[in-house]
Formats: sequence, C-alpha cells, structure tokens
Amino acid sequence: MPPTASSAAPAVSMSVSLHPDPIDPCQQLEQWQAQLQSGGAEQPAATSLFIGRVRGSTAAGAPLDALELEHYPGMTEGQLQRLTAACARRHPVAAVMVRHRTGLVLCGDAIIVVAVMADRSGPAQRCCQELLETIKHDAPFWKREWSSGMGEWLLGHTELTNATTA
Amino acid sequence: MSRSDAADPPAAAPTVRVRLFAALREAMGWGEQQVTAAANPATPLELWQQLDLAGAWLAATGAPGGTAPTGEALPAGIRVAINQQFAEAHTLLADGDELAFLPPISGG
Repeated sequence: MPPTASSAAPAVSMSVSLHPDPIDPCQQLEQWQAQLQSGGAEQPAATSLFIGRVRGSTAAGAPLDALELEHYPGMTEGQLQRLTAACARRHPVAAVMVRHRTGLVLCGDAIIVVAVMADRSGPAQRCCQELLETIKHDAPFWKREWSSGMGEWLLGHTELTNATTA
Repeated sequence: MSRSDAADPPAAAPTVRVRLFAALREAMGWGEQQVTAAANPATPLELWQQLDLAGAWLAATGAPGGTAPTGEALPAGIRVAINQQFAEAHTLLADGDELAFLPPISGG
C-alpha cells in the first residue's frame, strides 16, 4: 500500500510477503534489490537488514524440534502492509522489505527478514528496528514450540528489553 | 455508518462469523462459527461471554480468563478484530461482521 496522496513524503517502495516454505534471506535481499534497480533509479546509500531465525531451544530451555507459526489469513497480510506503511511514514526511508514465514519452521531457519533502504544509516536502522518491534506486537502471528513431540503455544512476544538476553 | 453510533441499530440481533486462533481455538475445539448474538445491540465482549470463551481460556492457560457477569473487559492479552481490523471490545457489531478473538500475539 503506497503512502496516501495527502502525504508530502516521497513514495516509499514496499515489498511485503508471507512464505509457507523456507526462505533464503540473502536470496530474498538480492531479488528485492534487483527489483528496485530494474526501476532505473539510483539505489539509496544505506541498507539495514534484520534476519530472525528459530532458536534451538524452547523458552523453557528444552531442545526445540520446530516452531509452528499460525497466522490470520487476510488480516495478517493487511496488518503487515499497514504497519510497514506507517513505519515508513515515520522515517525518511526509500524502500522496505518484509518477509515472514508461516507454518512449520525448523531450527536455524529464518522466520523474518526485514530490510530498509534509506539515504542515511540512522533512518534505515531505526525504521528496521521499529518495524520489527511493531510486527512483534501488532501482526497476528502465533508461535507454538514443538519439543519431544509436544506442542506449546507461546502467550506473548519477546520484549525489546529482553532481546539481548533471550 | 459509524460503528460507534448506537442510534441506528439493526432490527434483529446480529449474526456474526466468529473466528478463534491458536490456543483459544484449540481450547474451544472450533475455529469458526456463525453466531447470533443473544441481544441487540451486541459487542465483542458480550459475544465472548455468550460463548463462554473465558472458561476455555482459563483452562488452556491458567490465566485469569473470566470476567464477572458484569465484567467490562476481556482478559489481558486477548484482542478483538472486526472484519480483519483491530477493534475495541465495546464496538457495536453489525450483521454479517467477521469477529475474531486473538490470543496474545507472538510474531517476528
């Protein structure tokens, strides 16, 4: 969804998608950049990238077999678009990419990839971090940890303040 | 029509498509139902109580899921979406709405 016509900011290129199958973050990034370059415009100087992968253990510390990601078809896609557009309006950025897995995700596999291009590093990094946080809070996804054949739903998200120790 | 405008309620109690997800869906044993509200007008909170979702949520999580009969809020962490947009628990429902109760989100 492009910024509204009333916005004075330049149009931000947005690419948001869900993936039921494994994704290669580097390949996604290359394809996105190639798509942007095909438009002929000069690429912004700064790109911030975040890749989130499945840990090898559950929140309780047990070995994790896999993580299951449920979503709300329709609402999840729409909400990701709205959150991305809102975040892009708050920062002077040129392009935003979001890739999010659904379904069963194995340990070490990427769950989410967020990339932001901007003219400067600060806006690119701030937009990337802010968008990741808002997706954790406001995009309808639910995680279930599978360990020793048992599944347990996680009731909430990892807070930013805990992220460095989680 | 403004959703918050109670001046023009439908003649009959609304029938809505209720959707549940993740732990809440499994606790109730269903993910989707057509439900006619017991009263008119009706709100998501009233549908939550009508369907006894609080008891299932309590059983599934051990968290306080119940609101007293006169309770005015959903349990902590439970959110509402109407027609795939976040909404407040006291929003008036319209006939044909898709109402979803969303357990705590864990994306990213």
